Amino acid sequence: MATLIKDVKLSDNIVKKVLFEKHIDFINDYGQDENNYEYGMTDYLRISGMYWALTALDLMNSEPAQGKDKVVEYIKQCQDPQSGGISACIGHDPHILHTLSAVQILAMYDQLNAIDTDGVVRYIQGLQQPDGSFAGDKWGEIDTRFSFCAVMTLSLLKKMDVINVEKAVDFVASCKNFDGGFGSRPLSESHAGLIYCCVGFLSITNRLDIVDQETLAWWLCERQLPSGGLNGRPEKLPDVCYSWWVLSSLTILGRLHWIDAEALKTFIFACQDTETGGFADRPGDVADPFHTVFGLAALSLLGYESIQKVNPTYCMPQRIIDKLELKPQYLS
Amino acid sequence: MHGRLKVKSSEEQKAEKKKEQQKKLVAYQMGMKKILSSRQKETYDKESFGISAQLLCVNPDIYTLWNYRKEVILIEHDKSKEDEVEGEEKFGQFLNTEISLTEQCLVANPKSYGSWHHRYWVLLLHPKPNWEKEFMLCTKYLNYDDRNFHCWDYRRLLINKIGITLTSEIKFSTDRLNANFSNYSSWHYRKSAVFTDPADSSAWFYLRWVLSNPALTKDKKEKLMEQFEQLEELEPDCKWILMAKCWLTGSLILSDCDHTDDRVLYYKRLLKLDPMRKGQYQQYLQLKD
Repeated sequence: MATLIKDVKLSDNIVKKVLFEKHIDFINDYGQDENNYEYGMTDYLRISGMYWALTALDLMNSEPAQGKDKVVEYIKQCQDPQSGGISACIGHDPHILHTLSAVQILAMYDQLNAIDTDGVVRYIQGLQQPDGSFAGDKWGEIDTRFSFCAVMTLSLLKKMDVINVEKAVDFVASCKNFDGGFGSRPLSESHAGLIYCCVGFLSITNRLDIVDQETLAWWLCERQLPSGGLNGRPEKLPDVCYSWWVLSSLTILGRLHWIDAEALKTFIFACQDTETGGFADRPGDVADPFHTVFGLAALSLLGYESIQKVNPTYCMPQRIIDKLELKPQYLS
Repeated sequence: MHGRLKVKSSEEQKAEKKKEQQKKLVAYQMGMKKILSSRQKETYDKESFGISAQLLCVNPDIYTLWNYRKEVILIEHDKSKEDEVEGEEKFGQFLNTEISLTEQCLVANPKSYGSWHHRYWVLLLHPKPNWEKEFMLCTKYLNYDDRNFHCWDYRRLLINKIGITLTSEIKFSTDRLNANFSNYSSWHYRKSAVFTDPADSSAWFYLRWVLSNPALTKDKKEKLMEQFEQLEELEPDCKWILMAKCWLTGSLILSDCDHTDDRVLYYKRLLKLDPMRKGQYQQYLQLKD
C-alpha cells in the first residue's frame, strides 16, 4: 500500500560549485549561430529566450559576447508599431509574454527609451478584460500568467495607473484554491509556476493580504523531495525551474527557511552539465538557457556567493530593481 | 527542454544527426518564410495554409501560426455568409478539419497552450459545436493523464457551455460541507482517502482545508483525534498523521490548553521525522515559548 515517492537519485560525484566559465560559454555559444538547430528552431520564443540568457549572464557578472547594442537593436525590430506589443522574433506576432521579456531586458540595460514605451503601455492596457483578467494577445487566451506579465511590465514603466488594479486583483484572488495555492483561471489546480505568478502579482500590487501565508508556505515547502529538488505539484518529479517558482514564492512569503537549503543546492549543482555548461531540468538531461537562469536565480536566493543578488518578484538583478526604486511587498 | 535525456553518441552518429537537423531547420525556415510573406500580402494561399498545419504538428508552440490560421478561418467565415444555402454547412466542415488538426497536435503534445486555446476558439465559432463530444474526449485524455491541468481547465470551459451542472454540484457538495458538518457523509468519502494510504500526500492537503473549517465542532475534532491516534499505531512514522494532529490541536488550542504540551511533542517528533522542513517546525516551536 505504500506510495512510492516520485523523485530522482543523485550520483555520489556531484560538483559542489557553480561552473561559471562553462555556463558563460554555454550561453554565449547558444545565441551565436542562427544556423544552430536548437537556436534556429526556437525563434518563436526568441525574446523570452534572450531574457533568460541575458539575465543568466548578468547574474554571473558577465555581458553578452554579441554586445548589448545588438540586443537592443533586435528588440526594436520586434515591436509592432500598430498595437505597440512586442513579438518573439521579427515577423511573428506581438504577445504579452515577449513584451514583458523585452521590457525586462531593456530595463536591465537602461535602454527603455529605445522602444515606444507608450505603445507598450497602450498594448497592455488594451489586453485587460471587463472581469479584470488579462489576455495574452488579441486572440483572447486568459491566464493569471498574463496578469503578472501586465503588472510587471507596467510597474517597470511606472504606469500602473492605466489599468484597473482593483479588478485585476479581484481576478487573481478568484483563482485562489482551498490549498492556499493559485491556478491559471478560477477553479484551476494549484501549480507552483502559477503560484509564483499570482504571489508575484500580489507583491507588486501590494496585496499580499489576500494570501493564506501559512497554508501556502506549507504547500510550497512540501514540494521538496528527498533528493533535495523541488517539484511543481504533489506527486510530481523535481525540476530545476521549480527551484525558482517555489523558492521565489517562499521568499516573498518570508518563509525561505522552511526548506532545506543545502539539499536544494546539491540538487541544483547536480543539474549542471559539466561538459557543455548550462543547467538541465534534472541530472543527466539536456541543458538549456531556461533552466540555466532559474538554477542560477534560485542559488542567488539561497545566498550563493559571487552570483548577483536576484529580486524574487521580478527575477531581475536586485540592483536594477533598486535603481528603478521599485518596492514590491514582502511578508515577514 | 523538459525531460530530455542526454545520450552519448559517436562522432559518426553526431555528424549524421547534424545533417538530419540541418535539413529540418532549412525546411522550417523556408516554410515560415513562405507563410509569413503570403500573410503579409494577405493572399492566404492553400499551400501556406497546408505548410502551417505540418509545422504545427511538429511544434504546436509556434503561436504565430495559430494566429495565421485564425485569420484564414475568419476570412472563410465571412465567405460562408455569402452562400445562404450551403455556406454554414461547408464552414462547419472546414472547422471540423481544424478541430482534427488540434487533436493531432494534442496527441503529440498534450501540454501545448496554443493547441488547447485554438481548439476552444474554433468551437466557439462553429455553427454546430458538438460540446458533448468534446466532453467525452476530455474524459478520454484524462484517463491517459489525470494530472494534465490543461485538460482539466478545458473541461471547466466545456461545462459552462454544455450546461452540465458539475460546477454547481461541486458547489453543492462544498455547501453541504460548510453547512452541516455533523452529517459527515459528504466529506467522509474524501477523508477516507487519508485512511486508505497515509503515505500519499494528496489527500492530506485536502484534509488540512477540511480541518480549517470553522464549522468543525470540538466534539468532532476530538473524535478525529482518536481516529488519527489509531492510525498512528499502524503507521508510527507517518509525518502526515503528526501534522494533522498539530492542525487539530492548533485550532483547539483556544479552548483547551492541555493540547499545548502535546503539540510541542508532535513538532519535536516531526523535527526528527522530517528534517528537511525543520525550519517550519522550529518556527512553530518558538511561537510556543
